[in-house]
Amino acid sequence: MTFSSLGHLLPELILLTGACALLIVGLTRFAKTPSALSLLAGGMIAGALVATLLIGIPAEVGDLPGLALSPLTFYVRWLTLTVGLLLILLNWRQAEPSEQGEYLALILFAMLGILLTASASDVVVLFFAIELVSVPTYILVALSRRDVRASEAAVKYFFLGALSAALLAYGLGFLYGASGTTSLASMAGVWASRLQPASIAGADMLVLIGFLLAFAGLSFKIAAVPFHAYVADVYEGAASPVTALLGFVPKLAGFIALIRIMETVHWQLPASVMWLIWIVAALTMTVGNVLGLLQTNVKRMLAYSSIAHSGYLLLALLVGPALGAGPMSNGVTALLFYIAVYGVMNLGAFAALSSFQRGDRTLETLDDLSGLARSQPWPALALSVCAFSLMGFPPTAGFLGKLYIFSGAFSLAPDHAFRMPLIVLAVIGVINSAIGAAYYLRIVGACWMNRPREEVASVPGMTERLGLNIAGLAMLVLFVAPGPLLTKARIGAASQARSRSSSIATAVDPGPRGSATSAETSLAAHEP
Amino acid sequence: MDIAFLKLLGIVILTAPLGGALVCGALGPRRLKDRTHWASIFGVGAAAAAALALLTQVVGAVRTSQTSGHEAGGSHVSATIPVYDWIATGARPSASPPVAAPIKGLPREDARLPHAPMELSSPSWFRVEFLVDPLSAIMLATVTCIALLIVIYSRDYMRHHDHAERGYERFFAYLALFVFSMCALVLGGNFLLLYLGWEAVGLCSYLLIGFYYGKPSAAAAAKKAFLVNRVGDFGFGLGILLIYITFGTLSYHDVFDMIARNVDVTGAALDPSKLTTLALLLFCGAAGKSAQIPLYVWLPDAMEGPSPVSALIHAATMVTAGVYMIARCGAIFVHSETAMLVVAVIGGCTAIFSATIALVQTDMKRILAYSTISQLGYMFLALGVYAADSAVFHLFTHAFFKALLFLGAGSVMHAMGGVIDLRQFSGLRHALPKTCKLILIGSLALAGVPLFSGFFSKDEILHHALSVHPALGIMGLVTAALTAFYTFRMFFMAFAGPLRVPEGVHPHESGSWMILPMSLLAIGAIFAGYLGVGFVGRPFHAFLEPVFHNTFLASTLHGAHEVVAAAPAGHAGAAISTGAAAGFMAEYGLLLASGGLAILSILAAYVVYGKNPWIAATVRATAPRVYGLLWNKYYVDEAYDLALVRPLRALGRLCFWLDEYIVDGLVWLIAFVPQAMGYGARGVQRGALQGYGLAMGVGLAIVVTVVLTW
Repeated sequence: MTFSSLGHLLPELILLTGACALLIVGLTRFAKTPSALSLLAGGMIAGALVATLLIGIPAEVGDLPGLALSPLTFYVRWLTLTVGLLLILLNWRQAEPSEQGEYLALILFAMLGILLTASASDVVVLFFAIELVSVPTYILVALSRRDVRASEAAVKYFFLGALSAALLAYGLGFLYGASGTTSLASMAGVWASRLQPASIAGADMLVLIGFLLAFAGLSFKIAAVPFHAYVADVYEGAASPVTALLGFVPKLAGFIALIRIMETVHWQLPASVMWLIWIVAALTMTVGNVLGLLQTNVKRMLAYSSIAHSGYLLLALLVGPALGAGPMSNGVTALLFYIAVYGVMNLGAFAALSSFQRGDRTLETLDDLSGLARSQPWPALALSVCAFSLMGFPPTAGFLGKLYIFSGAFSLAPDHAFRMPLIVLAVIGVINSAIGAAYYLRIVGACWMNRPREEVASVPGMTERLGLNIAGLAMLVLFVAPGPLLTKARIGAASQARSRSSSIATAVDPGPRGSATSAETSLAAHEP
Repeated sequence: MDIAFLKLLGIVILTAPLGGALVCGALGPRRLKDRTHWASIFGVGAAAAAALALLTQVVGAVRTSQTSGHEAGGSHVSATIPVYDWIATGARPSASPPVAAPIKGLPREDARLPHAPMELSSPSWFRVEFLVDPLSAIMLATVTCIALLIVIYSRDYMRHHDHAERGYERFFAYLALFVFSMCALVLGGNFLLLYLGWEAVGLCSYLLIGFYYGKPSAAAAAKKAFLVNRVGDFGFGLGILLIYITFGTLSYHDVFDMIARNVDVTGAALDPSKLTTLALLLFCGAAGKSAQIPLYVWLPDAMEGPSPVSALIHAATMVTAGVYMIARCGAIFVHSETAMLVVAVIGGCTAIFSATIALVQTDMKRILAYSTISQLGYMFLALGVYAADSAVFHLFTHAFFKALLFLGAGSVMHAMGGVIDLRQFSGLRHALPKTCKLILIGSLALAGVPLFSGFFSKDEILHHALSVHPALGIMGLVTAALTAFYTFRMFFMAFAGPLRVPEGVHPHESGSWMILPMSLLAIGAIFAGYLGVGFVGRPFHAFLEPVFHNTFLASTLHGAHEVVAAAPAGHAGAAISTGAAAGFMAEYGLLLASGGLAILSILAAYVVYGKNPWIAATVRATAPRVYGLLWNKYYVDEAYDLALVRPLRALGRLCFWLDEYIVDGLVWLIAFVPQAMGYGARGVQRGALQGYGLAMGVGLAIVVTVVLTW
């Protein structure tokens, strides 16, 4: 590792510096003005974002141990930091003033974890990156408010999170045992050369067990059934600004890690595992939406909505990259696009809850929301836009996201072995969208149709409302002009297609570097 | 044509009214209040200015292409201008899929894996694109200019004694939003944008019909309009899907090009029956939006909306969207004689059918509504007999005089305190002298009295109809006589005789905000028709000729004289043959006949309603059956209610019951399972940690066992 190669890690380094600086500054007298700390955190994220954009799609750097920069890195950096700015807006003054420094530093650490997940080239780094995402979130839940519910939620989240981390570590251990290497790229090479063609079908039991355990561990992060049970309690317990973070940060990290692991098996899974993920996806969508119907607490409702959305994203994961003809059919593109949209719309919904208070607590139940439009028409409109987007209703970005995900299944190549089941799953997804509409509409209905119960008051400060408005506007703008985001998502997914073809090429040609370069040129030739 | 400039103009045409609508909505209620109309006026005004600039550009381009002797109908006066890529789709199935070369050393079944190059190739997109050609230019100019006049008119109409009515800002926001939607419909360069604009104008229409939503009849009318349009739009949507399946693209340019080359997406020859299906599906949408049999029932009820809305949306612009769409899709329609016949027959029947209903109605706005349906019928008749240029010409003149008449009716209504029933007042020429004169001009144009605009455009349609389908032409002639009669029945009932007004009403002439736009429209109602007169070389038709050159005008069914008439002025003289001369004779004979009919009908109306009102009463008494049939609009609403509405209501109740008891029950059952499980493990905590952990462990164990023993 040379000094110059560190330059490629500038965004990560800025985040790390920022987090450490926040820890230190939080102890000084600056901590008496919490806005200063929030400003510092926001500035650091903005700096990292600028660095990301300056670097662009990173070139592959050979001498960064455990890390491999790819187009996916660029997408995840860009997305995480952009949504991160919104998260800082929401958490501007959430923590106790004395804890503000640690609180913001933890958010930055979690974001750093996502960035590292996207560029980890080694299972050990991958595991640590995932834990770097998880551990701060446990603490954030506890710090978010002085409330016994928050503490209880944090403890639950921590214990179950620890269990899932154990599963993940165990699974990655099996994968190491089966391949004899911790490097993801070498692992992929080993599967490709040693196992039958790019598929682990009926082959190595160790690989299968390892994959299943890792999938289980990550299922907790993305809140898929049956590892979803904690979600509603934790969401309800944590303060809304942290819940907004919980809906996005662990889910993004989990899906990125899943993509990385799917890469090592060349997106080829034996039918039994495909069916397993199929069932998990179908259950996740259905359980999420059906239980969402019964909630009167909006935070619990959005928790189940978060579960349901993981189901849709799992469908995209099953479709995988480049199985059909065109970008609408690339599951990874659809996944990357939709997770960005989901992060923002979900954040918007929680921003609406944390922007207003009745008495001394922020909004939580449908009853709290009733008649919001009467006194606060614009925030109510922004919330409604986010709700329509979660529903997948035009003219919002959520519609396009669902469109891409579902159309992926329909445009699979006719000879794809798993085509029919995926189409059925897409139909289940469409039905689930309709079920989900019922409870999202209750949010909209409560805002606009119900009589105001008592006056809602804005919370002091305007950052929450700013975040809400940005989220609502983004949903409309991304519907009208999804091109830029979609292009970025396509570039991010392109590394998947490449890794896949290159690793297959590896199987033929034992010179790994050489084949990577040839794949590189083919990528360059086809990139617009 | 300067593409960059046209693109800029197109963007202004769309964003200016949208911006106006947003400003009205955002700032209207709190800041602008009584001044909200300015936002709307500026937005629509900017769009109108841009539309006129666009029209000038296109006129210039058409003129150059015609003088430079290019083959008329070339694509140089039609430009598809991409604005930006919107929704990425899969690669078009037509693009030959790259065959993955089998890699040596890999088993056969793996050959399909490396699709990466295909994935990375650029996708195809649904684009946001404009189609600028003479047809869209003329439509845009008409829509925006008339909309501007009507927005100005609404400033006074929507206030009483200089106090803004409740919902003032809402009204102007909707109006500007409508202009945006209509422009998007016309300017859009593919079927997707057409559909979006189509639905958006439907939404605006719904919102504006139900503007007085507190009034049950207005709310019901809005609902009816929306639902009836849904029936048509369902067919329209299916048509667009079929287009995408057949051609693999939604862009007008590509679709029409493929039809011209007679290939579908797979490269095979087109199935003619598929084109017929397509045309009929699209016609479903047109029949709904443009109020043709059997979907016309919503338009008379739509008069519940404020009068400027009736003038703008339900007379001058939105209802002509169907005519525009069929004119635009001529390439599809002319390939199907069946579809063309259906269009012509439906148009002709609608024209005469609604004209008879209008004979006995007493609500001034409803008479005008039935007259609108009837005039739209004329336009469809024209399309069906391959005279699309005449259809668009009638659309153009009709927009002026019908908007004028509705605004006049609004002026009467304003003066009468909201009463519009002709039995409640008479002799208004004394109280409303200006309105009276303006309505007279509009009525003369509608009745087709010679030298007014309606005369020229209607006569053209009759001429074409008589030469292609004589029976329909005669129906059209009868309709023309009926039109003149009911129009002047309305006029004489309102303005002739002694002054009589409803109780407690002090009639007052409208202010200049209302009179000025009406006067401008009146000028259009008189002179717009001269753009299509043979003496001045029929500039309107020459302008549109490139659009229809390869579709409607190229059809063999179209009479030989038509080619002459439609040819550019410079070429007309050389092409006149003896056959064409005979055609001209027939045309002038028809001119005299239809003009004479109109004047005779007006005289009849004068005798019956102006001089001797007892005649009408006698007729009513002697033929009560016929009168009742017409008065009740042939009982069509009742028949629909019995045949469709009630069964559907019953179905709805059944579904509601199923949802209430069966579906909800299932949901509760599903929810009960985890709850029951929760109760088993529930201690002092809300949701037991150990239970969650156990569920995860058991779940994992099941998963691993199942997968490993598969």
